[in-house]
Amino acid sequence: MKIVERFVGEATILDITGDIDLSSSPDLRKVLLRELKEKRTPRVIVNLIAVRYIDSSGVASLVEGLKASRDTGMRFALVGLSKGAREVLQLSRLIKIFEIHDNEEQALA
Amino acid sequence: MPNPIANADSDVMISLHDLRVSYGDREILHGVNMEVKRGETLVILGGSGSGKSTLLRTLVGLEKPSSGEIWLKGKNLASISDDDLDEIRRKMGMSFQSGALFGSMTVGENVGLPLREHTKLEDSTIEIMTRLKLEQVGLGGFEDYFPAQLSGGMKKRAAVARALSMDPEILFFDEPSAGLDPIIAAGIDQLILELKQAFHMTIIVVTHELASAFLIADQMVYIDKGVIIAQGTPAEMKANPLPRVRQFFDRVAEPEVEQEMDYLQMLTATHRRPNR
Amino acid sequence: MLAYVGALARLTSQAAYYAFVGPFRGRPLRLGRAFSQAMEVGVRALPVLSLITFFIGLILAIQGAYELKKFGAIHFVADAVAITMTRELGPLITAIVVIGRSGSAFAAEIGTMKVNEEIDALETMAISPVQFLVTPKFLAMILMLPCLTIWANFMGILGGSLFGVLKADFTFVEYMRASVSALFMRDIVTGLIKSVMFGMTITAVGCSEGLATGQGAESVGKSTTAAVVMSIFLVVVVDLIFTSLFFFAGGI
Ligand SMILES: Nc1ncnc2c1ncn2[C@@H]1O[C@H](COP(=O)(O)OP(=O)(O)O)[C@@H](O)[C@H]1O
Ligand SMILES: [Mg+2]
Repeated sequence: MKIVERFVGEATILDITGDIDLSSSPDLRKVLLRELKEKRTPRVIVNLIAVRYIDSSGVASLVEGLKASRDTGMRFALVGLSKGAREVLQLSRLIKIFEIHDNEEQALA
Repeated sequence: MPNPIANADSDVMISLHDLRVSYGDREILHGVNMEVKRGETLVILGGSGSGKSTLLRTLVGLEKPSSGEIWLKGKNLASISDDDLDEIRRKMGMSFQSGALFGSMTVGENVGLPLREHTKLEDSTIEIMTRLKLEQVGLGGFEDYFPAQLSGGMKKRAAVARALSMDPEILFFDEPSAGLDPIIAAGIDQLILELKQAFHMTIIVVTHELASAFLIADQMVYIDKGVIIAQGTPAEMKANPLPRVRQFFDRVAEPEVEQEMDYLQMLTATHRRPNR
Repeated sequence: MLAYVGALARLTSQAAYYAFVGPFRGRPLRLGRAFSQAMEVGVRALPVLSLITFFIGLILAIQGAYELKKFGAIHFVADAVAITMTRELGPLITAIVVIGRSGSAFAAEIGTMKVNEEIDALETMAISPVQFLVTPKFLAMILMLPCLTIWANFMGILGGSLFGVLKADFTFVEYMRASVSALFMRDIVTGLIKSVMFGMTITAVGCSEGLATGQGAESVGKSTTAAVVMSIFLVVVVDLIFTSLFFFAGGI
């Protein structure tokens, strides 16, 4: 898994590539929590378009990110969910809890 | 979205060749052959005492076959190294017929244990994962209960949650819905279907519930007295003409097959205590 | 019997591997579990162990005095108690108390887990039952048994002093001074070496009886009884071996 950081307007976008699994989730969590703590921008958007596989440790890390964003008063959104990722969130009944957009433009609008 | 760990050269997850298993000198499985493909749900049917649990226990390496071969993800269990077996087992979940929850730990600790032992995830992440899994089996909010404080059906569901904790590639369920009320049992069926869909898991289920079996199965096998006497898709099984299988599906009581002389023999035989 | 001892040795070496080598091979040690075992094995044994060894010390003093009086040497009672306690009875009584409290509990705990398929569950999760269950007990035992033994020695001497002060014209301080000067370092060290060996023996027997439990609740009871009887027997055998070894090989 690789994470690349971009700044677009008022938002930080984290582009994630690869698999989010038991071994890579701790890194995702660290980056998310740091980003949400530093508050460099009022919004953090996680772009999952290049993620092939996400397991429940990945989902749990996203939940931690969401919680941290609520605590710090930032907006936290997911974009580019694959069908599989959607199913995983659905299975955990989290699909309605996250702010989810189809693509970056929508998320930034 | 197939699991990336996929073994590219083969779609066969499990195959058994002429598998024989004994307890002591009593043979329980008399030459079982079968194959399970990646992403498939296999349902194992059969009367009680026919060897279903023994088959599952052998598949996960708890019982050693007296002869025959077990291939798991392209590796022969008989000659596998301990490290390779551990590697396979980390990607495997098993929910035992009895639940087998750790009595000295809370439900949450039970579910989180493999994660704590095998991963470097933070405690907070593990806690969220644990709650997610318990939520999936309808046990949200019970993480601080001890197994002794749960009903039989709840224990079973906690065991299912624990089997799921590492997001396994292969799941083994030994009668996951036996003793559950119909609504909860339907929830477990739904969960199995969703897991298959979302994670492309290979799932092996022992069950007595026919409705559930036909709902979740891609393939079925029917074991009778340690031998697979029928196998196929649910449709093929429905059409299977074997009387034993028909009986099971039509829920007919066992006919009196024994000859009168055998029966008399059995009743009056000189008793020998089994040696332990 | 030889096969049994072989199996114990194998279990002990596996537990030791996970305790001392495993951590350097990427199998981290869970010290929390060892710590809670140490509390259970060690700290909770203190009250009963203190009482028993105090009485034993007192009994030793009385019995010793009976013999010593004949030679008009009753003032040697402090030496006799101190040496017998530290070299022999301190380690042995401690081991027997620990067998009763913890050796049996190990067998019962692991036996119950065996019957409930919990051991099987650990294996299917790729968690080694030895690493997870035996190693913390092993560490707790080899650490706590020597500590308990030192405490037992002290309580025994204290018990002896009661007789010394009441019936042998010692003051308390004199009695203690006499005890200390009677002891050599080697008396204490040989006792402690024994106690470490006892700790290993008790852990190995308790855990292997637990792991060998058959089916059904009644077999847990059988394992527990077997663990206690076998541990006492083997502790005495180990005691004999080491006592002879110290005597014949080292002259100590
Ligand atoms: N640990 C064991 N030791 C001896 N016999 C056993 C053991 N477990 C099961 N059996 C025997 O093996 C047979 C098959 O049992 P099992 O596999 O549990 O059947 P099922 O799960 O189909 O009901 C039964 O006759 C049972 O008595
Ligand atoms: Mg069964």
